[in-house]
Amino acid sequence: MNAALDGNAVVVKDLSKHYGSGERVVRALDHVSLSIPSGTVFGLLGPNGAGKTTLIKVLTGITDITGGDASVAGFDVRRESMEVRARIGWVAAEVILDDDFSARENLWFQAKLQSLKGWETRAEDLLAFFSLADRADDKVSSFSTGMRKKLEIALALLHQPTVIFMDEPTIGLDVSTRRMLWDIVTGVHKEFGVTVLLTTHYIEEADALCDRVAIIDQGHILAEGTPSELKGRIKADIVELETAESLDPVRIAALPGVQEVHAQGNGWTIRVGTADDFLPRLFATVRTDQIRRISVDKPSLETVFLEVTGRRMGQEEPIRDLRKFYAQMRRARG
Amino acid sequence: MSFPWSPLWGLYWREIVRTFRNPFVLLITVVQPFMWLAFFGSSFSLAPSTALKGFFGASNYIQFLLPGVLSTSMLSVGMFGSMSTIQDKRFGFMKRILITPTSKGTVFLTKSLGSATRGLVQFPVMIAAAFAFGVPLDLTPLEWVAWVAALMLLAIGFCSLFLAITARSTDWQTPGVVANFITMPLMFSSAALFGSTYFPDWMKDISSVNPITFSALLGRSFVLGTGTNWADLGYLAIFSGAMLVMGYFVSSRWLRVE
Repeated sequence: MNAALDGNAVVVKDLSKHYGSGERVVRALDHVSLSIPSGTVFGLLGPNGAGKTTLIKVLTGITDITGGDASVAGFDVRRESMEVRARIGWVAAEVILDDDFSARENLWFQAKLQSLKGWETRAEDLLAFFSLADRADDKVSSFSTGMRKKLEIALALLHQPTVIFMDEPTIGLDVSTRRMLWDIVTGVHKEFGVTVLLTTHYIEEADALCDRVAIIDQGHILAEGTPSELKGRIKADIVELETAESLDPVRIAALPGVQEVHAQGNGWTIRVGTADDFLPRLFATVRTDQIRRISVDKPSLETVFLEVTGRRMGQEEPIRDLRKFYAQMRRARG
Repeated sequence: MSFPWSPLWGLYWREIVRTFRNPFVLLITVVQPFMWLAFFGSSFSLAPSTALKGFFGASNYIQFLLPGVLSTSMLSVGMFGSMSTIQDKRFGFMKRILITPTSKGTVFLTKSLGSATRGLVQFPVMIAAAFAFGVPLDLTPLEWVAWVAALMLLAIGFCSLFLAITARSTDWQTPGVVANFITMPLMFSSAALFGSTYFPDWMKDISSVNPITFSALLGRSFVLGTGTNWADLGYLAIFSGAMLVMGYFVSSRWLRVE
């Protein structure tokens, strides 16, 4: 056991995972380092193919490590795989249960896999917690998607794990089920004090659920911090302005706090330190009757993603056109 | 490290229960060998009993065939075992299992034992069918136990072989292809359907090492009351043990999770 836990449930150092070899090598994870503090909900935010699921596969021992080190609950993922697996829970993107069995039988089976003793009370508590007690002896095939998700989380919690990995747990769910699951994740975290590593490509999910978020793209961790820290990194607001007459760009750019100005005709996109400071200066420079429309966008996790990757979530290529970039920023914030 | 009794029992129980909760699988498992007896076994029903006695050593061909059909049906048990493993890989269930402290070797053992047990469901059905066809079965308790043990060993051996061959596969078609590739040669080169007395020498050589032959001959010796060669049971134990060890090693190392 690695004694140097330092309050972290998961520690990843210089971790790489490559598939294939030679010119065809795919670097699913490339020298990734991060620490997940115990007792937090940690979000791994990134588009499809960013390396989120690969990281979970590595940490759960499902796939080998190409290079670097990783430990979960103080145990080395490579050398102490069984110790790690005894201390983790897993919730898959797709619900994986045995449909031929009842909820209680699924819990029994999970207890057997974990070699648990005296698990029955815990199982009954979990069934009650997830409001499944009334249907505990019904076949899982008759359950709704939400009930199946709840049962899957109950299975993951049965052996009182230190860390739960949730791999895109809300993918494919309707809005109300997704919201219900958010409440469950928050409730589970509070009630059971377990560390949650959650992967998602839903910005609002990471923002709503996670104490800390790492943005991952193309196998690299690009930014990490609390949602407010990450948003705070973007020391800029975007002011959108449409005027009745053309203005002198030099005058606008010269205003204190302005970082970048882009103009097209009478439309302006102005990147400023803070809009609160900038707007009085703007109104002192431009007559208000000249302003047809004005809007201010504050930073969000999506703008952070856009800032660090140069593209929107799910978009393949970075944006090279500044105007398009700001247009994307506007949509991200809207 | 202690022996993983708990996951072994859980996984084994799952294998068995899933079979009994799937009436279609159960029906096929039972009906298939019964069809063999009914159609193939009846093909000599009008033959003179002296001719049957001379050729098969039995006055009733079904009496001769019964141990052979039970032995060959253990081949299909291996195919079902490996199909069930591929299903677990494709639906993510293998991942769910292997994210717990359960080893790939344990998964292999339970698949092998579970499938073999499932295959033995055919035994009482076939015996009942044989009685219905008028086959006299006058076995001692020891012979009944030895017969079941022989079939169990054969089934474990074939399941292990199938699981080892398909350890890396996630393709539904693979078990069927493997079954087609090995079932026919093993079945027809054995003494399951006919005695090997009139086989050409090269087929006799294959038959003499074919585990189906050993199982069929052992069962036939009990049914026909001819002298039993208990070494046949020993050979089946060696076959089963060797396949189990090989399958355990292959699965522990190469079993694909998804």
